[in-house]
Amino acid sequence: MANTVIGSSIVIDGEISGDEDLVIQGTVKGKISLRESLFVEGSGVVEADIETQNVEIAGRVTGNIQASDKVELKADCRVVGDVKAPRILIADGASFKGNVDMDVKER
Amino acid sequence: MAAKDLVTSGNTVIGPSILINGKLTGDEDLTVRGRVEGELSLTKTLIVEPSGVVKANVTVKNAVVSGVVVGNIQATESVELTQEGRMVGDIRAPRVIIVDGASFRGRVDMGELPPGRSLPERTTPRTQLRPTVRSLPAPPPRPAAATTAARPGGASSAAPAKKSGGGMPGIVRGESARPAPPPPPAPPVVAAGAKKKVVLKKKK
Repeated sequence: MANTVIGSSIVIDGEISGDEDLVIQGTVKGKISLRESLFVEGSGVVEADIETQNVEIAGRVTGNIQASDKVELKADCRVVGDVKAPRILIADGASFKGNVDMDVKER
Repeated sequence: MAAKDLVTSGNTVIGPSILINGKLTGDEDLTVRGRVEGELSLTKTLIVEPSGVVKANVTVKNAVVSGVVVGNIQATESVELTQEGRMVGDIRAPRVIIVDGASFRGRVDMGELPPGRSLPERTTPRTQLRPTVRSLPAPPPRPAAATTAARPGGASSAAPAKKSGGGMPGIVRGESARPAPPPPPAPPVVAAGAKKKVVLKKKK
């Protein structure tokens, strides 16, 4: 539990921060910063800069993504923005436009 | 995706470590265990759990407050402060429930209409818009100088102790600034229809 879900009819305009996993099925505009994982589901729309540990995107994201661990673009996602993370996965079928930067110091 | 399977779809939950700062709108129930600041409007129910903190102006259909709310709540149906609920702000809703143990500071406006009653039925407009929900000691009933003539017999125990204006009932109605209801057909009668149910079991 202790899982945060932004349901599909929810629209948030502002800033979200926290230390737990966040699932987005709705719309978030602004900024997201987490210390855990972010899941943007198929119905999710994010127009925000994202700073997290992990991101899994199946929905639509417009904005820059910076992850301390991993960014995963799943099939059917649409992402516009720069992605910076040590591990970046782009699945077959994903749509992505932007820069990729895996240039992270050796861990 | 195992994490997602835990989650029942459709219901939004703001977890305990999450802070949302900004504007939140939606058409579904929202459970707040973390913090929400800014503005919050839903067409369904807001549940503020004991760990939840809402510092926002809230517009919802129903609100159940078990945590902390600082700000005004406007509900089209009901607002309930549970035993653990703490709130500072004004409440505007046709049904307001404050249970024993809840802490609340602010104003309550239940409007003109008892819930479930249709508009044309309102022949005896209420003038006591703010029933004594507050825990503050109510001032003694106003000496019936100006209003004796209009007050029906036996209503003196329900004297409008919270009335903040002068003796004119019409002025008191205007203060509530409710947008929706049209003016009543008949001239207001003091304390004639104080039927609204207020559940207040406030223990000191």
